[in-house]
Amino acid sequence: MAAVAIGAPASAFADVLTPESPHSPNAGDIRDAYVVIGVIVTIIAIAAIASLLVAMRRFRATAEGPRNPERSARRVQPYVALGLSTIAAVIFVIGAVYTEGARDVEPTGTDGLTDANPLEIQVSGQQWLWRYEYPEGLGGEDGEAPIFSYHELVVPVDTSVALEVLSVDVMHRWSVPALAPMVTAVPGETNATWFKADEEGVYEGRTQEYSGPGTAAMRTRVRVVSTEEFRDWASRQAADIQAAQDAVQEAVDEGTAPGVAR
Amino acid sequence: MSDGRAPELSAEVVAPAGQGWIHQLFATDHKAVGRMYVAGALSFAVLAATQLVLMRTQLLVAEFDFMRPDVFDRLLSVFGVTAVIFFALPLLLGLMAYVVPLQIGARGLALPRVASLSFWLFALGGITLYASFMYTPSSAGTTALAPLSLLEFSEGHGVDAWIGAVGLASLGFTCLAISLIVTIARHRAPGLFWRRLPLFSWSAITTSWLLVIAAPPMLAALVMLMLDRHFETHFFDSSAGGEPLLYAHLSWLFFTAVYIAIVLAALGAISEIFSTFARKPAFSRVGTATAMAAAAAIGPLAWMQNMYADPVPIGFQYFAMVMALSLIVPIGLIVFNAIATLWNGSIHVRSPLLFAAGGLAVLITGLAGETLHSVVAVGAQTGFTPLAHGDTSFVIIGGGLMAGLGATYYWLPKITGRLAGEGIARASFWTMLAGTLLYVIPLQIAGLEGQPNDVYKFFGGEGLGAYNAIASIGSFILVAGLLASIANLAWSVRNGVRAGHDPWGGTTLEWYAPAEPPVHNFDLIPDVRSDEPMLDIRAAVSSGAAGETQER
Repeated sequence: MAAVAIGAPASAFADVLTPESPHSPNAGDIRDAYVVIGVIVTIIAIAAIASLLVAMRRFRATAEGPRNPERSARRVQPYVALGLSTIAAVIFVIGAVYTEGARDVEPTGTDGLTDANPLEIQVSGQQWLWRYEYPEGLGGEDGEAPIFSYHELVVPVDTSVALEVLSVDVMHRWSVPALAPMVTAVPGETNATWFKADEEGVYEGRTQEYSGPGTAAMRTRVRVVSTEEFRDWASRQAADIQAAQDAVQEAVDEGTAPGVAR
Repeated sequence: MSDGRAPELSAEVVAPAGQGWIHQLFATDHKAVGRMYVAGALSFAVLAATQLVLMRTQLLVAEFDFMRPDVFDRLLSVFGVTAVIFFALPLLLGLMAYVVPLQIGARGLALPRVASLSFWLFALGGITLYASFMYTPSSAGTTALAPLSLLEFSEGHGVDAWIGAVGLASLGFTCLAISLIVTIARHRAPGLFWRRLPLFSWSAITTSWLLVIAAPPMLAALVMLMLDRHFETHFFDSSAGGEPLLYAHLSWLFFTAVYIAIVLAALGAISEIFSTFARKPAFSRVGTATAMAAAAAIGPLAWMQNMYADPVPIGFQYFAMVMALSLIVPIGLIVFNAIATLWNGSIHVRSPLLFAAGGLAVLITGLAGETLHSVVAVGAQTGFTPLAHGDTSFVIIGGGLMAGLGATYYWLPKITGRLAGEGIARASFWTMLAGTLLYVIPLQIAGLEGQPNDVYKFFGGEGLGAYNAIASIGSFILVAGLLASIANLAWSVRNGVRAGHDPWGGTTLEWYAPAEPPVHNFDLIPDVRSDEPMLDIRAAVSSGAAGETQER
């Protein structure tokens, strides 16, 4: 009971103060780096602030005493500098290890879409939504146009997904913290990241770069499904897109499409 | 100082100060320049506070329609530069302009017309920015990042006003920085060697060098942006071969430098205030001075820590991380020395000390968080979220706002001859501290829950309501404290308790000059024999001639 009483608030506390639960190896590395280095800097900050408060309390002038001309005879500066350098070096090493770990792309696992290693998806940001383009041939038929989707990215579980992020107008920043680090979409450049979802589910995301009045609504989500469900979705999506394009073509031919001259 | 005897004559011919406010406005006396900077900065503080209250009211509840999204975006775009470029930095720079020549025993700033010009460039920048409210202010965001700030995405003249404002203000700061550097290098009193330079003056010279080096790249970026917007150039237009990231690099270099400048100036003021009120010499002045110079040199090189998610080669990101983490050493050393100054001291708590200590605590919190975000892996996840933004807010509030106000309270008796109301000052400090914590911490948690920065609304049903409500109320409390302090300062200019030339018992040379010093600062510039000249002067006077005792 005591363990639960202590453990529950501690884990709730930890949940509130740390990033979302990671569901991809790189997101996991990022969160671990955050926790480890976060603990280090928190301890240092608390120590510094505590010593400031202690000094303010303990060394209050009790009477209008004479000024203390004492100067420190010991030279502590080099030792303090050495200590701080050690802390900086430790944080650097820990940070570098986790950063390199996060950049290490893992291959698709056995439960994933094994013919896609990695599954390459193009993410394009525009004011104010995200568009996802899949590689060719996923709809099941050769030679057809690649499928795409807006706002929702559907991927199979346990599959290494490589994202190529670009922008068609201004800078945006794709952010799904449970799966991957943020990626800035810069017009004229391509940026890249990767993830491999370990669990089915829906992971929310958004843009993290101010891009105009629609920034608040420029959200996204990643829906991770099983491999079979993904193939079903891909063929349905291809069929839906084809049907929509046929309908538009029909309307254009009949002259009933708005804005298109007969 | 009217004790009936004729004052000693100074060696130079001194023109009498003109009367009337017209003369005050165009005076080249460094004290007039400093006063105008401080008054201007505090006025912009009121404007920034108003904008904060309006924005946080919009974010009080989910999907509130208190204001239209485009109005919010305009307030947002103006708020960032108002708080940092038009309030925090000029407050500290204005105090430097006032105090540094007095502190080093000079008769004024070198290049006085350049210093006067600097104020007018700053003022003109502010007028440009706020004149844009008469048509349409910028809505291109806090830093007007390209390509959002290009004409294609930001029509109208709001961004042009923003560019003009930031450009004029930066140019003004550069001018003042040049004046300060020359003053400190050339016009120190006899005997005031570099190693005896007071810490606030030392932070002034390091801050000035920082601004001189970092402002020109921003001016270049602003000129390029203006050319892109109106003269058919394509510096930042990727469709024609330009590179939007160039603006990001140049502007981040500048804003990082401004940020470090505010931190160093704040730490310099905090170190001086701690030393005075603890009745102890500053702990290892040489260590702190070296650390300030090192921080000024290293800090701006970490500008790419704002770009960990951008397509910048990983080698450069590691470079930024190394530079940012290296800052732990000098900044940590300065903080250690400041606290060591208090240790074993004889502390008299007055409002400047409260502000300085509180500001230091908030600054430490923010800098610790910034250290966490400077790691590439973490920064790529937390950069530009309210979590990271909250740490930046802690630094600007702790260093710029609290330490800046503390320094203003500390030197107010020198500037106006009067002390500020002590009770209201303390009450406003505690209010601001409570408000800051209530405002920043819930927003950081909301950021971890997924709320983005810079949005005019958040959605209901996502668990963000309570955090935003508390943060909004916190911001109202912070603003209330700030306005109380500003009102206190303004009221005390005419109605405060009269103070002598040395109400706090300071040890640096500015306390030797009379309160509200005359144009020529000192009738006689003393020889400096140690790094605590006022102690020597008091000892000489009380042990020396003819029945004249100086009270501490």
